[in-house]
Amino acid sequence: MANNLVAELTQHLNSRHLYPAAAWLQSFVSSTRPNTPLPALKQTALFRLLATDITTSLQAPANTIFPHDILNPRTQSCVVAGPVVCQVLDMEDIGLSRWAQVEQIEAKERGEMTKGREVVRVVEDDNEGGTVAPAVTSRGPFKLLLQDAKGAKLYAVDLRGIDGINTAMAMGAKLLLRDTDVRRGVAMLEPANVQVLGGKIDALDKAWKEGRKQRLMNAAKMTGEAGV
Amino acid sequence: MARILCVAEKPSIAKAVANHLGGQARAENVRGIQWVKNYKFDYNFQRWGQSSVTFTCVAGHIQASDFHERYRKWHSCQPSDLFEAPIVVHVAEDKKAVATNIEAQARYNNILFIWTDCDREGEHIGTEIRDIALKANPRMQVWRARFSNIERAHIIQAAQTPIQLDEAQGNAVAARIELDLRLGAAFTRMQTLALQSMIPQQGEQKKVISYGSCQFPTLGFVVDRYLRVRNFVPEPFWYIRVSHEKDGIAVKFNWKRGHLFDRMTVIIIFERCLLSKQAKVTKMQKKPTKKWKPLPLTTVELQKMGSRFLRMTSQEVMKVAEELYTKGWISYPRTETDQFDKDMDLRKIIEKQEQDNRWGNFATGLMNGGFNQPRNGRNNDKAHPPIHPVNYVNPSQLNDNEKRVYKFVVRRFLACCSEDAVGEATDVEIDYGGETFNVHGLTVIARNYLDVYPWDRWESSQNLPQYTVGEAFEPTEATMHDGKTTAPGYLTEPELIALMDANGIGTDATMAEHIAKIKEREYVIARPKGGGAGNGGVTERGGGRGRGRGRGGRGGRGGAAAQNGGGGTGGVQEFIPTTLGVALIEGYDNVGFETSLSKPFLRKEMEVQMKAICEGRSTRNDVVQQNLEQYRAVFNRTQQQINVLKDVSRAGPKSC
Repeated sequence: MANNLVAELTQHLNSRHLYPAAAWLQSFVSSTRPNTPLPALKQTALFRLLATDITTSLQAPANTIFPHDILNPRTQSCVVAGPVVCQVLDMEDIGLSRWAQVEQIEAKERGEMTKGREVVRVVEDDNEGGTVAPAVTSRGPFKLLLQDAKGAKLYAVDLRGIDGINTAMAMGAKLLLRDTDVRRGVAMLEPANVQVLGGKIDALDKAWKEGRKQRLMNAAKMTGEAGV
Repeated sequence: MARILCVAEKPSIAKAVANHLGGQARAENVRGIQWVKNYKFDYNFQRWGQSSVTFTCVAGHIQASDFHERYRKWHSCQPSDLFEAPIVVHVAEDKKAVATNIEAQARYNNILFIWTDCDREGEHIGTEIRDIALKANPRMQVWRARFSNIERAHIIQAAQTPIQLDEAQGNAVAARIELDLRLGAAFTRMQTLALQSMIPQQGEQKKVISYGSCQFPTLGFVVDRYLRVRNFVPEPFWYIRVSHEKDGIAVKFNWKRGHLFDRMTVIIIFERCLLSKQAKVTKMQKKPTKKWKPLPLTTVELQKMGSRFLRMTSQEVMKVAEELYTKGWISYPRTETDQFDKDMDLRKIIEKQEQDNRWGNFATGLMNGGFNQPRNGRNNDKAHPPIHPVNYVNPSQLNDNEKRVYKFVVRRFLACCSEDAVGEATDVEIDYGGETFNVHGLTVIARNYLDVYPWDRWESSQNLPQYTVGEAFEPTEATMHDGKTTAPGYLTEPELIALMDANGIGTDATMAEHIAKIKEREYVIARPKGGGAGNGGVTERGGGRGRGRGRGGRGGRGGAAAQNGGGGTGGVQEFIPTTLGVALIEGYDNVGFETSLSKPFLRKEMEVQMKAICEGRSTRNDVVQQNLEQYRAVFNRTQQQINVLKDVSRAGPKSC
């Protein structure tokens, strides 16, 4: 019965291009209660797996990870067929200055995003060309740091806008990449080639969100001082 | 024969109206006040028939409110007691002679006809006059004149159709007066007593750190911007430009993304562009475009434009506009209305301007078929029309400031009655290496209203060559550039007015006063803009702005117009908070943001409730009680945490 269950779950996850490590699968199966219907177990397994760190929970068949020479900056362009499973470790909005993002976060902290508590800071004027940059919600583009099951890290940029990829997404979320153009060691994400599987890594996500403002402030000050 | 006592809000109005109604009315002196005259004449009113008229005036509010004597001394009670301490309303010391004159006149007359300005304050002053008159002569009938300029025909019309005083508006002002007194006194005493020892004293004089429920949010805006400027960190960004020469014209395409804050990404994108060699035209659009003529002039707009273009502060602008109004040249300058009544005969007003040698020809053009009904804005205070010229005045009769304001009012009015400017916009978009670049061109076809209104800019850009969709070409040049975000400028006066307006602080009539107050109290200093960083887009503006522009369609706005020509912003003032100003705001913010007095929420609500009284949806008593309760919560919290307030003042702002 247990073997049968492992096989069923393996098949279910493999069909989603996820190849769980035997140890993870064993521990999952042992944690389940008997008599749970199979469809529910399949769902739970997927949900749990997406909440893990894939560098320990997944096997790494060659086609599901990045090629070893992927980071070579001399490679103008190479297409990675995949599908590669990876998790998001970090993300940056590169369409908005870091300081503008800090100001946005602070406005939120002050409660100004709540109704009745908005403070109008910018009044558009037809002739003056506006006054100060309004804190617009950015639509990116976004720069992400991805990691495959082997632990290899790769930068990626989302230039076109992909549903589910934005600064509100959870860190540790899993993506599936197909036929991805990697230029100079940076993956160019295209909506057609990216599937957002979801999930997150709790501890990472929490630390990332808590530290975001400070990181942005530090980064702004560093690039600012370095000057142009 | 009816005996009618008319009372205006100020001497100039009394004189002007009396002369319109009575010809050369006989002026009698009033004992004790030289500037008040009682004008005597006979007049045939529609309602009362041939009457003998006495026309006099007051000078603003006659009554003053203060706490009962027991509470007046600073140390006589806890500041918090002032939330409910009894208030006595009495005739102000310097208005006693005015009141006596009204009492005396009331005894001889049987009808009281009130001619105060038709706004909230005027309505309240009307009730004060009525109360004084009725005390002397309880049998008096009370009427009120409705007028919004002192042009002769308009005044005669107002005299023929008296209306009733609007009690609700008077009550709204009474609520405002009570709240201002209680809150102002309670907070001023509390914060002065707490902070006085820490503020450097000037000589022997004890300095009062006064509080006002409008001034603090106003100061809050100045400090907010100041901190943004001071904390600002410039950051580098990168962008790509593409140029192409066609038909002898060098076309510069802009990156639709504006710029990005990651060098590596831009380099990769740039490389992809260069590798793709060819660019392809994806959009070629020519469409008619317009620059809309301005809306009819409101007080807030007059103040903003005044401080931006007329080299005057908002307070000066209002003072001058007031003078032009009392002399009969322009309509009442305190109005929220930005729509002209359909029945108003605007041509008659235009006609009077034909004789001018600067805009006369334009006015004639409007009379000969160029006239267009002005656009309608969204506001109508139902009391006054938009500000417009009433009569023509030769510039030689005006002083410099009056000339400027009058010129602005007339030109704005003529612009409203003219036609939108018409042009043709050309938009070309190309795809190059998967990235979109575009160029926008504008050809102005007919300037129309712009001919009379030099404060709007809309100019043709360079001509663009003909492109066709699908056409491929090799760009002459593609280059990568960098830039740096620049700090916003300090808050300027027009910006501050706009923010007060948008956040509901003060009314159109009082904004200029609040700004003047925070200067006078040394919470901020004003200086002419231009020094330092602030003069606008040297490189590209701060982050989001450039992008926003790149993304959104530009609509009717021409490329040239968007560029902030330095010329227009000559005399604009910018505000910088003083150490004390920053400390006060930071102190209150630290006590608790939700209720901080530096934020506009509480005051905005009060303003909304004032309107509710006017519209009969609330009562004076409810509004006063409700507001006192809310402010008392802030008061208690501040008092409990008074050390937080002291800390900031002691330390001074972090660096200055």
